[in-house]
Amino acid sequence: MSGRLTSWRLALRLARRDARRSWVRSGLVLVLIALPVLAVTAAATLYETHQMTGSEGVDRRLGTAAAKVYTYRHAADVAQTADPETGGASWATRRRATPPTERQVLDTLGGERRAVPIATGYLRYRTAEGMGDAQSVATDFDDPLTAGIATLSSGHWPESDDEVVVSQALLDRDPGEQLTLRGGTKLDIVGTAESTSYRDTAFVFARPGVLPTTGSSGDQAWLVAGGPVVWQQVRQLNDLGAFVVSRAVLADPPSASQLDPDMQYSDAGIDSAELTILVLIVVMVLIEVVLLAGPAFAVGARQQTRTLALIAAAGGTPRQARRVILASGVVLGAAGAVLGVVLGIAAARALQPLVQHFDVQRFGPFDVPWLPLGGVAAFGLVSALLAAVVPAFIASRQNVVAVLGGRRGDTRASRRSPLIGLVLVGVAVALAALGVRRASGMGGGGEVPIALSAVVAVLGMILLAPVAVVALARLAGRLPLPLRFAARDAARHRTRTVPAVAAVAATVAGVVALGISITSDEAENRETYTPRLAMGQASVTDYAQKADWPAYLAAAREVAPESGPTLIRGIPSGGRTYVDFRARFVGQPRSMLSSWGGELATSVVVARDPADVDALGLDAEAAGRARRALAAGQPVVFADRAVPDGPARLTVKQQAPRERRMTTLGQVQVDAVAVPVAQAYAPVQAVLPTSVARRLHAPVADVGVLVPGGLSSAQQQDLSEKVAAISSRAEVYVERGYQADSAVVIIKLILAGLGAVLMLGGTLTATFLALSDAKPDLATLAAVGARPRTRRGVAGGYALVVGLVGSVLGALIGAIPGLAITYPLTDRSGYFSGPVPDGLATHYIDIPWLMIAGVVLGLPLLTALVMAAAARSRLPMVARLQ
Amino acid sequence: MSAVLRLVDVHRTHGEGEAAVHALRGVSFAVHSGELVAVMGPSGSGKSTLLTIAGGLDQPTSGRVEVEGSDLVTLSQAQRARMRRTSIGYVFQGFNLIPALTAVENVALPRELDGVRSRTARAEARAALEEVGIVDLADRFPDDMSGGQQQRVAIARAVVGERRLILADEPTGALDSETGEEILRLIRARCDAGAAGVLVTHEARHAAWADRVVFLRDGVVIDESGSAPVDRLLDEPAASR
Repeated sequence: MSGRLTSWRLALRLARRDARRSWVRSGLVLVLIALPVLAVTAAATLYETHQMTGSEGVDRRLGTAAAKVYTYRHAADVAQTADPETGGASWATRRRATPPTERQVLDTLGGERRAVPIATGYLRYRTAEGMGDAQSVATDFDDPLTAGIATLSSGHWPESDDEVVVSQALLDRDPGEQLTLRGGTKLDIVGTAESTSYRDTAFVFARPGVLPTTGSSGDQAWLVAGGPVVWQQVRQLNDLGAFVVSRAVLADPPSASQLDPDMQYSDAGIDSAELTILVLIVVMVLIEVVLLAGPAFAVGARQQTRTLALIAAAGGTPRQARRVILASGVVLGAAGAVLGVVLGIAAARALQPLVQHFDVQRFGPFDVPWLPLGGVAAFGLVSALLAAVVPAFIASRQNVVAVLGGRRGDTRASRRSPLIGLVLVGVAVALAALGVRRASGMGGGGEVPIALSAVVAVLGMILLAPVAVVALARLAGRLPLPLRFAARDAARHRTRTVPAVAAVAATVAGVVALGISITSDEAENRETYTPRLAMGQASVTDYAQKADWPAYLAAAREVAPESGPTLIRGIPSGGRTYVDFRARFVGQPRSMLSSWGGELATSVVVARDPADVDALGLDAEAAGRARRALAAGQPVVFADRAVPDGPARLTVKQQAPRERRMTTLGQVQVDAVAVPVAQAYAPVQAVLPTSVARRLHAPVADVGVLVPGGLSSAQQQDLSEKVAAISSRAEVYVERGYQADSAVVIIKLILAGLGAVLMLGGTLTATFLALSDAKPDLATLAAVGARPRTRRGVAGGYALVVGLVGSVLGALIGAIPGLAITYPLTDRSGYFSGPVPDGLATHYIDIPWLMIAGVVLGLPLLTALVMAAAARSRLPMVARLQ
Repeated sequence: MSAVLRLVDVHRTHGEGEAAVHALRGVSFAVHSGELVAVMGPSGSGKSTLLTIAGGLDQPTSGRVEVEGSDLVTLSQAQRARMRRTSIGYVFQGFNLIPALTAVENVALPRELDGVRSRTARAEARAALEEVGIVDLADRFPDDMSGGQQQRVAIARAVVGERRLILADEPTGALDSETGEEILRLIRARCDAGAAGVLVTHEARHAAWADRVVFLRDGVVIDESGSAPVDRLLDEPAASR
């Protein structure tokens, strides 16, 4: 044991000295190890700080009280977790259930106690433009029990029931001297205060019972003073029908077995599929770091080959030689992990104000999650150790005589490992196929095998990378000198080249896989997008039975007179009376249209003018047919697929509330025109000429305000506020066509950026190490008359070889999970009951060729140019060229 | 007959002040076409410095270095590199072949670097390998060749493209004596064909291949003849210090 320790001590000492001597290479490894550790540490620390765990935010919610108790009017069989507001609670609704009163609550808790009522919720108030939303808290803010819930910044807390205090965010919306609530109640604003939980949010603070709120935390709530409220007491209050947020219970939550059986699963956390994918992501990051750091250890091992050969010559065993290289993994991994954690915590501290800026919820105290960070640091150490393993084994098996004789280069490539690589890629394809089959079948869940296939494919690719590098070197004979030199040298030094190539390939595989899945997903969204109005038009809709259409029309005319707002009439489908319309062409199936329903409160438009169809967003051909039919006095019926025009039977039935049966209002048989629509969707079922509607005895009313000229964003905002002041149910919609989610664009940019950074990192490492390794060759080149720029050419050549081989391999490998994942992602086979309608697909694949071309060809060329430009042009002028 | 290489009062000092090392102190000599000059002297006498300066790899602190009439000192780095591609050929003790390139590619290197089309460069390289007698090894990599074969490739590389100055730094140092003799014979033959050669060596028997011997000691030429007994000159202390 002591012998082994001694041997490690020697290895560690050698590694430490070597790390200090070749500090540039050590620095490179340190950065590669420390960066991911730093990023994860900073993210974890910020998340932990953001999370309000356990007792952290308790003062913000409870003030100085021991507990908050709240009740719902008809709640019975109450069960809760330690924190019923965020952790989960359950109850049954029974009309006869009576919640406990304040007296009963205090009696149950016992001891010296008192209670202060508190009500939290939402309300609407009048702004300069219309109505705005605010959160509300009504309690006695002068009571010390409520201290900590909000902080007064000016004025005084409300002293009477006609006074309120508001937050700055609310004041910014210009409510006036008095706060006018919905319903007309006017309250004097006597001060400003801010919630301690949320920043930049509109808040109204008032005395208990003042605000007509709709609340989330119970119909009645009290803050209770006195000694700690323990879990036993919480259960007693639950039995009475009350929920309890207790300071003592939050600080010392009950174990799962103490919870009501209903509540034991509410905190289950992530499911096993998510966990599997999380583990696979960690594995992928580990592989990436190992691959990036690998070349540095390979070069370190080679630069130490003489030392190792001398150790061997002096009687050292291969194991001892191996340990010298592994020890450098330990030294650099430990240093990188510690550095990453320390810098990560510092970065989180520095970033905290910036991140807070983007979040309305106030962060908790700065909180370092030490235990997970231990895991992150271990990750750093393990990745360095793993990166050192292969070079260590190769170094320990080297030919001592060759090394001492001054010959360079790697041993021959293994013939077995490419075969294993091929098998792994085959397994990956099989896994991906399995995922595709599962996704198309019932039950879904193809994601896990596909994610697994990604990792297996990357592992196979690592074993195939040497083959690709050697193949390129074979083909390099006709290439210009710098490229030929780079390709051949890369193949000679595979331990250095292959990890770098594989790192680039793994990055590109990830980018390609995600790119294919994102663009395919987007293609699905784009293809299946159905406009709800004609492109560019806007509408105001209200599904209430007695909507104030003239008021909406007036509001729209006021905001956008130039856009020609007008009323649309139809058979109303809003309100409580149900109206059913059916159209059946003689000799055709009963069901004509799979889905309808748009921004109008009707499913049948009654056209006073054939031009009314323009509101429906049909394509030019369909709109033309519909217009001609209406002009001829024929009804227009929309259909999934082409149906011959001809006699159709139209029926209108109605079912009033409390009636059990539908009564037929009218039925006619007329010649009708069937207009097929894309996507098996139309905004309405049919458009009837007024004459046909009259014959059907159908009720006809205003069903929407149409703004044919559309609205600008500012007009939309103004009109929204105006109609909100008329009715809370009114909605303004503007048809702008399919809008690519800005998040998707950002994700694509981030992907491309990440790909570029990692590729640059991988090639930079490899090129830098290759150049320092090739110093004697560069000196020879200089001696036979190479121009200074030849070195630049060689540097660019290395970068091109590593980047190109890596990105081509990576694109091929990434396509396996990338194509497969589109199946579970865009699967629509369960979407249609019958055969798939025209123009629709059950599955979408859209390959982002431009992005792939950019990553596979553009990025390597760009990195090569950057390398060539950044490389020193001076060739080494060695005095003694030995 | 004009000199292919002419050194005029060349000084080379490494470092400054107290720590200054005077590697060469006023060295002058010339090498003409068809002539092989051996530079001899003990370790640290400045032999290798002389050769790097003659090849334009290093610059003298003062003095002139003329190769085929152009003064290397006044040329830019790029122009000196051009001279090495077209006029000067190096042969090193350690062969210094590029392991990633085949024999023929190593020989073609100066021509290719000079912008000659790769097919032409390879044809010239094959001809040069033919001259040194190993054209059958043209497509081998250096690691698969013996030391003597590697040095023949290096000589082929030094002479390819009709270069007229061959600088050889202990070219036989890593070879057995029989192979070494063959290498010297090749260099001699090249000089007889019209090239000018400088052979740095510390072995007296190799000097026998030379037309003239230049003796260096502590950076100074102490004899430039072919007549004086070599062993005596090596043993004698410096004439001037």
